[in-house]
Amino acid sequence: MSMMTGKEYIESLRGLNPEVYFFGQKINNVVDEPMFQPHIHTAAMTYELAHRPEYEDIMTATSHLTGEKINRFTHIHQGIDDLVKKARMMRLLGQKTGTCFQRCVGLDGLNAIYVTTYDMDQKYGTDYHERFKTWLTEVQKKDLMPSGAMTDARGDRNLRPHQQKNKDTYLHIKERLDHGIIVSGIKAHITGAINSHEILTMPTRTMGEEDGDFALSFAIPSNAKGVTFVFSRQTNDTRRLDSPLDAGNPKYGIVGGEAIIIFKDVFVPNERIFMAGEYDFTTELVETFAGYHRSNYGGCKVGLADVVVGGSYWTADAHGISKASHIIDKLTDMIAMAETCWSCTLACSYEGYQTPSGAYHINPLLANVVKLNITKMVYEWMRLAQDIAGGKIITLPSEKDLENPELGRIIEECFVGKEGFSTSDIIKMLRLIENMSVGAGLPEAMHGAGSPAAQKIMIARRSGIDRKVDLAKSVAGITEDKDFEQITGKDEKTYWQESKKKIQEKMPGSVNSSAF
Amino acid sequence: MYSIGLRYCGGCNPEIDRTGLIDSLKQRFKARGIPAEFITDKETPTDLILLISGCKHGCLEQEFPSFSQDPPIISVRGEMVGDRYVQEKDIPEVLIGSITEEKNRVGGSP
Repeated sequence: MSMMTGKEYIESLRGLNPEVYFFGQKINNVVDEPMFQPHIHTAAMTYELAHRPEYEDIMTATSHLTGEKINRFTHIHQGIDDLVKKARMMRLLGQKTGTCFQRCVGLDGLNAIYVTTYDMDQKYGTDYHERFKTWLTEVQKKDLMPSGAMTDARGDRNLRPHQQKNKDTYLHIKERLDHGIIVSGIKAHITGAINSHEILTMPTRTMGEEDGDFALSFAIPSNAKGVTFVFSRQTNDTRRLDSPLDAGNPKYGIVGGEAIIIFKDVFVPNERIFMAGEYDFTTELVETFAGYHRSNYGGCKVGLADVVVGGSYWTADAHGISKASHIIDKLTDMIAMAETCWSCTLACSYEGYQTPSGAYHINPLLANVVKLNITKMVYEWMRLAQDIAGGKIITLPSEKDLENPELGRIIEECFVGKEGFSTSDIIKMLRLIENMSVGAGLPEAMHGAGSPAAQKIMIARRSGIDRKVDLAKSVAGITEDKDFEQITGKDEKTYWQESKKKIQEKMPGSVNSSAF
Repeated sequence: MYSIGLRYCGGCNPEIDRTGLIDSLKQRFKARGIPAEFITDKETPTDLILLISGCKHGCLEQEFPSFSQDPPIISVRGEMVGDRYVQEKDIPEVLIGSITEEKNRVGGSP
């Protein structure tokens, strides 16, 4: 099978029948469930745009494994150009959907595991990398969507995984067999989980020697025996059942349709295991994944910003205030913040590097700066969107009231804008801004790909503070500055002695310091 | 005498001390009585070229994309030598090993 279209992707989900629960009910038909459909449409966009000539340059790539044209969401980055195109793809999809399109987690998992399994095999002589490449080739050929399942339930955060009272708070190996392993545990907040073909697991943190059974990475089909999904709620989610207008972004939804994944005695065959006890490589896997994933946020969230900036301007125009200086000022601030984040993402891509595996990785320091900016700036540009949109975004009546002949006429008059803008369109746009700026998208920007504290740890670790201290000491004159001595043609001590002498000759008694 | 051409990246934000690395390498060559000449003039032909990029991005590798064998090229990019991760403190020893290997490949020892 070659690259799927959006429609083909949706149809491909019909045969899976994963075990999914929502609202206490087992959902037998995931594809046609109204609560899930916006998320499925969004993921389908990642397939559909790959078939458009106007987008294929960034939506597709050439597989280094098969030489075939593939969807970029299954590609291993082979150069800086791939990293940059990945960032551009993120922004494009954010623009097209106004929400999380889910598939980047799996993409980042593919790349992180590719990089790490190579290094593990170099050290231990294992064959994880070849196993992974075999599985990856299938993913590319069939154009599959694997969900990236990293975050464990984690229980008492003060305890390491092996110390947890309930071991299932972390996904772990229960039993090792000749031909595979039996695993149990819980992964939480897994984006796009119910509408992915496969689950690709990774450890959620650095593991110690005693956590060996938790140092675990594998892939299994999402309908594997023993796997259960519990779909999460989003802000105002049941409005989808009330009316499209009230939902805000009825076609594509809000955030990534996250789910809890419960693994109960799930068998994983050897050929699908990519880490099973190599605890000393968990840091590399987690940090490589986090680097890739954090870099994305300056793409996708900026795509969302493009939508909300456009919506804010349109709303201001609809109310006749688009030329007001305070509106222009707010819009300009929104744009500047969004483009700052975009600059960070481009920079961390252009500053990427080749890993021993041959795959390219982004600059991890800059990727963490991207994400840290996102945790703050998304709130700020969404605050400004609310400011411009006005109080209507939280006081609008329902679509059902609009449909009432008598009330509808009154509401129409109440919410009318300037000539040329229909009330219905104004309400649609206000609902979109409400969806994007009031709801779950904000904490998603905060915690997705790791919370701000995690980014700060990485930034502190990789900033090279010792070198900055050396720079400051040199400029301050505490340590030798060879460049200065070359410029002046003498050592610093002589330079300052002569300098003081010159000043004293001009202004007797003015220089008494002996610090230099 | 075995000659090593040095090429430094621009050094905008290095994660290693590039000149300190070469100082350390020179001292180790000297301490072991290995005669070697380090040349920064780009026009002078040398037996080997050593690329010293301050970070893993490795700007210099864009100038030397083919990794030609004549002369052979060894690339340091931050805490990596070639395609291996190497801690900064260990880079000089790894380089001595790599340079010796290259020299022996064409005959003789440095």
